[in-house]
Amino acid sequence: MTAAGEPSDAEVVAQVLAGDAEAFGVLIARYEGGLLRFAARMMGSRDAAADAVAEGLVRAYRHLGSCRDPARFRTWVYRIVANRCKSHLARRPVGDVSLDDAPPIAAPEHADEGVDRADQLERLERALAMLAPEKREAFVLKHLDGMSYEEMSAVTGARIPTLKMRVHRAREALLAALKEQS
Amino acid sequence: MKNELDPRIHRALDGELDPAALDAGERALVARLDALSRSLSAVPAGRSVAHRVMAAVRRPLATPIQRFRRWVTSPQPITVSLRPVYSLVIAVLLAALLWRTPEGPKPVLGAEEGVAQFVARFPEAHSVAVVGNFNDWRPGATPLSDDDHDGVWDARVILPAGQHEYMFVVDGERWVPDPMAGRYVDDDFGRQNAVLLVRPHRTQQ
Amino acid sequence: MILVPLLLSLAFQQPDGRLEGHVPAAALPGIQAAIAKAVQDSLPTEPLIEKALEGGAKGASADLIVSAVNTEAGRLRGARDLLRHAGAPAPYSARELVSVSIALARGVPEPVVTRVVSAVKDSLPGFALHAVADLQARGFQPDSSADLIIAAVGAGMSAHRLLDVAAAAEREVQRGSTRPQALARIKSILPAVPPQPLPPGAMQGAVRPRKPATP
Repeated sequence: MTAAGEPSDAEVVAQVLAGDAEAFGVLIARYEGGLLRFAARMMGSRDAAADAVAEGLVRAYRHLGSCRDPARFRTWVYRIVANRCKSHLARRPVGDVSLDDAPPIAAPEHADEGVDRADQLERLERALAMLAPEKREAFVLKHLDGMSYEEMSAVTGARIPTLKMRVHRAREALLAALKEQS
Repeated sequence: MKNELDPRIHRALDGELDPAALDAGERALVARLDALSRSLSAVPAGRSVAHRVMAAVRRPLATPIQRFRRWVTSPQPITVSLRPVYSLVIAVLLAALLWRTPEGPKPVLGAEEGVAQFVARFPEAHSVAVVGNFNDWRPGATPLSDDDHDGVWDARVILPAGQHEYMFVVDGERWVPDPMAGRYVDDDFGRQNAVLLVRPHRTQQ
Repeated sequence: MILVPLLLSLAFQQPDGRLEGHVPAAALPGIQAAIAKAVQDSLPTEPLIEKALEGGAKGASADLIVSAVNTEAGRLRGARDLLRHAGAPAPYSARELVSVSIALARGVPEPVVTRVVSAVKDSLPGFALHAVADLQARGFQPDSSADLIIAAVGAGMSAHRLLDVAAAAEREVQRGSTRPQALARIKSILPAVPPQPLPPGAMQGAVRPRKPATP
């Protein structure tokens, strides 16, 4: 995850634990983008995602000494943020996820594809938001964050066969949603 | 189910099957899902939270006294049932919170570890140990201590999260079940073991 | 077919290093046979070794130790059958098998254990089962207890927090509710059950138990 010449996660963690609190900014810069995108998918709201990620990162700093394998800081901090998202979601009433402040759709590469592409992405976003939280989480970690099933198991605490089933069902649901509306 | 994809497609997407082994239609579906994922990934992350986080990082932690005062005055009720028995034994389950305090460094816990606190009152004892399946039932492995000699022995032990069976051994020879444990199982040797549940400390984050 | 058990029995001619000197020598062949059978049946052996060491530490006779080890193996088999029947996805860890076994040993009826395992089959059932067993130990009906814990799972509560649900129901009884009232009240506030409070400074001086490494 780090470019050549940059300190590894383990090195930065060691630096923070040695007393250099400012060094934690390196880890924030490295992972907040992915965490914000992940949390936005889970929460359906950018503001709620920012809260969950900020809370999660502060907790990660406070409990950094308990990160047993600093080389796997990424999965460890993802787990913390995933738990924050679940905690926030558990307090919200169950119902349709509001997409009013959902993440914006990526700009299409070519202007002439703009309308169709944007429409398809909007349908995709809705379909993703309609997935059950555990399926959405599994799909996002696998396909958007590029995690292996082992890493996903470390983040979610679920077994690998369970995670595979969730990802498979999520793929099928997304394809079906696009097919229905095309 | 009509929405189910061929398992080979899933395996290819999971990196377990070479897409070249699929037929053209299947490869097209794999390519489509890859493209959908890339589309979803290419979304701006949103406003950075770095300044909020670093402001909290730079804020000094509450002192132990302040944290204890906050805990004591919190609205959460604490129920402790004390039974009038000769040996007052209390086993309290704790999940560890890792804070820096002036008292020194904290042990590093794994994600699936927690801390159990064993407390027992044996005023006449010379030694007390806790034995269980976490230390091969060997009394010498996990002694309790009574540093101020008030007859109350205690130890904090890092254990894997989950269930553990245990007893106390007094003066190396008297095996005492924990009457305050609240959870028991027959030990198959004519006695009962207490059952301890350890929560992973990460669940406190 | 004949070769595998033969090879396994040959592999277990050597006594486990942790057992020697800690269990009566006369118990070793019986313990080794039970361990070999567990390996053949793809059951975890660590609970069996622990049971043997427990018996040795408690001064039990060789016969009693072998009997206890075989009883433990039987419980693990029963736990595995129950997990399969409940639809929990294999493979099953030692922790899962032991948690089902202990729940049954604590008196939770088998159909209730099966129902709870089915409800939480995507994660480890230990804390859910212990929460039901805790409620039952405090006089709650097992089926109603399972209903509450399953509802808590459905409300998105994480596994360790189910113990808080059981404790909260007990506190309601201490405040004067009947048990059915207590269960209904806690069910109505799910998942907002308060966590049990933790005193600060709990980590100070915490140590890991000394356990000899397996040779």
